[in-house]
Amino acid sequence: MGRKKKKMSKPWCWYCNREFEDEKILIQHQKAKHFKCHICHKKLYTGPGLSIHCMQVHKETIDKVPNSLPLRSNIEIEIYGMEGIPATDLKEHERQRQGGNDSGSDDEPAPKKAKPEGLLGNAPGGPQHPGMMPPGMMPPPGMPPGMSMGPMMHMPPFMHPGMQMMPPHMMMQGQPGPAKPLFPSAVPTSSPGGAVVGADFKPISQGATISAPPTTNQPAGSSTPGSDKVPLIASTGASSKIIHPVEDISLEEIRARRLKYTKVTPQKPEEPIPTSSSAATNLAIAVSAAQQAAAHQAKQIDAMNHHAAMMQRFGQPVRVSGPPIGMIHGGPIMSPMRPHMIPGPPTLIGGHLVRPPPLSMPPGT
Amino acid sequence: MKSQTEYKLASPPDGAISAVKFGPNTSQFLLVSSWDNYVRLYDVTANNLRHKYSHDSPVLDCCFTDAVHSYSGGLDNTLKAFDFNTTTESVIGTHNNAIKCVEYCSDVNIVLSGSWDHHVKLWDPRTPMCSGSYNQCEKVFTMSVCGEKLVVGTAGRKILVWDIRNMSYTLQKRESNLKYQTRSIRCFPNKQGFVLSSIEGRVAVEYLDTNPEIQKKKYAFKCHRIKEDGTEKIYPVNAISFHPTYNTFATGGSDGYVNIWDGFNKKRLCQFHQYHTSITSLSFSHNGEVLAIACSYFLEEDNPPKPYPEDIIHIRSVSDQETRPKYSTTSN
Repeated sequence: MGRKKKKMSKPWCWYCNREFEDEKILIQHQKAKHFKCHICHKKLYTGPGLSIHCMQVHKETIDKVPNSLPLRSNIEIEIYGMEGIPATDLKEHERQRQGGNDSGSDDEPAPKKAKPEGLLGNAPGGPQHPGMMPPGMMPPPGMPPGMSMGPMMHMPPFMHPGMQMMPPHMMMQGQPGPAKPLFPSAVPTSSPGGAVVGADFKPISQGATISAPPTTNQPAGSSTPGSDKVPLIASTGASSKIIHPVEDISLEEIRARRLKYTKVTPQKPEEPIPTSSSAATNLAIAVSAAQQAAAHQAKQIDAMNHHAAMMQRFGQPVRVSGPPIGMIHGGPIMSPMRPHMIPGPPTLIGGHLVRPPPLSMPPGT
Repeated sequence: MKSQTEYKLASPPDGAISAVKFGPNTSQFLLVSSWDNYVRLYDVTANNLRHKYSHDSPVLDCCFTDAVHSYSGGLDNTLKAFDFNTTTESVIGTHNNAIKCVEYCSDVNIVLSGSWDHHVKLWDPRTPMCSGSYNQCEKVFTMSVCGEKLVVGTAGRKILVWDIRNMSYTLQKRESNLKYQTRSIRCFPNKQGFVLSSIEGRVAVEYLDTNPEIQKKKYAFKCHRIKEDGTEKIYPVNAISFHPTYNTFATGGSDGYVNIWDGFNKKRLCQFHQYHTSITSLSFSHNGEVLAIACSYFLEEDNPPKPYPEDIIHIRSVSDQETRPKYSTTSN
């Protein structure tokens, strides 16, 4: 029964009965889960500390320790890690550990523990995976223990037991994902999976290669980016929803696509239809006129350049008169443009003249 | 009309606002690009519209190169320059697909355009012509200049780091540490790294130095999420803007909130009130005293809210208390 003794010595959280490998992690858990201010997310050190903080900073009273079991929500007891736990509760916890197996005592320890085990393939005890790791070791390396269950869901559950054998890049993937509390205090170094640190930075070093796995934004097992279909955004689980269209393309692309079918198409026909509303068409006409003019001008400039080049070939005598000619050309070229543009405005004016009647309607009504 | 610290800009764009940018050395002028095809220049102190010029299609980004020159690009694939002194515009060049971002690198004096055609092009403002086109392998979604470095975020969650002085090879290629589509990237003014946001209410702080000791400092955190009767709504983080001197940054999300963060001390400095719709762009002024906040509904949801939210730009004076790190951070 050596195993039980080992278990007994594990630190546990008085507020939620969860067990931890290490008191350091327990303290991190308590700060993140039980001593965090819900208003400014500051992490305090104890229950009374949190209560005083909320009172003084936010003028709010807190009567219960957040995320605690019903009978363990007393905010006035000063508990830090394993320190300060009432003696009776310590004894009771021990008794329960020794009493039935961990699944036996049904009042508290079960819920948190049961979940990871369920994921492992719902073996309540250890027999199925004796050598792999102690059953108590639930927080996979790199994951702060205080995380909620939500983010776990989008990691393939069966991966958990194998975490240590996983290629390092999986670690990488896992890291940003898990619900680190607002600003995680758990840096990679403090995680039990110390061996994989370093591999963490694989994709960055050594320039030109992207060595990370082809992570799609899709649930594991579905098709990869190669396919023509627009990939979809993986859902985050039942308890949360990403407010974004399901297709994994940018909001701008979605908007652009939508626009093409609605706004732009009526803009395309460039003849002035009196019925179509003012600004857009006028603009379109002006633009098209300008474009025509520009094209025209470009052509003329081209011609001029050509001309100039030709003249250069004639040699000195002509070139002496070159600059003035250029100047003169400048004028004539600009002026033929003007009449060219004038046809635009009259039609616009016509458009306006047609419209006044309808415009005058609203004031009348 | 919330208070004196904040007011709405008069005569806002008629379409969704794609970008707001303050000028390089005054908090008087704000450049705004919009889906209504226009780029506008506002005088923020007088609260009026000074100039506007148009593209043939919605404009996705704009930038100042100096106080009187702007560059802009959008769905018409065209990069335009505008001189506000002479009010002349010129077409600088084109991409084969929409131009998603336009940035100016003052250290090298070059304009950069990033496009859905997978390329970033460099343009010399003195002789308006393309001085190079560089394949990014994927659609460019966002980019930011960090001294002489350029950080590009593309589709497929890729991040590319370039040296603008030598674009012959990619300095670094990374995969985003966030699991979801990259939304925005902005570099720290101190040039140590950059901040990256995704559509899934999350922001990552990253360092450019590849030294593992430095890389250990990177992290990511959740934000721009709203819990509503049991389910958590997770919003895209659309906008990031750095305070030019404190190295703190503001993020804006589709939840309508603006948060200011101290990235080095991992603290949130403040959160403003909720705006009426998504925050699409943010810009601190050159001295960090004013923050421009662009609000436009961006079709995030299947059914748009009714009435359809207006497009509004808020100009907010921010205090030191809201933007300065709480703890003394001299050097990191």
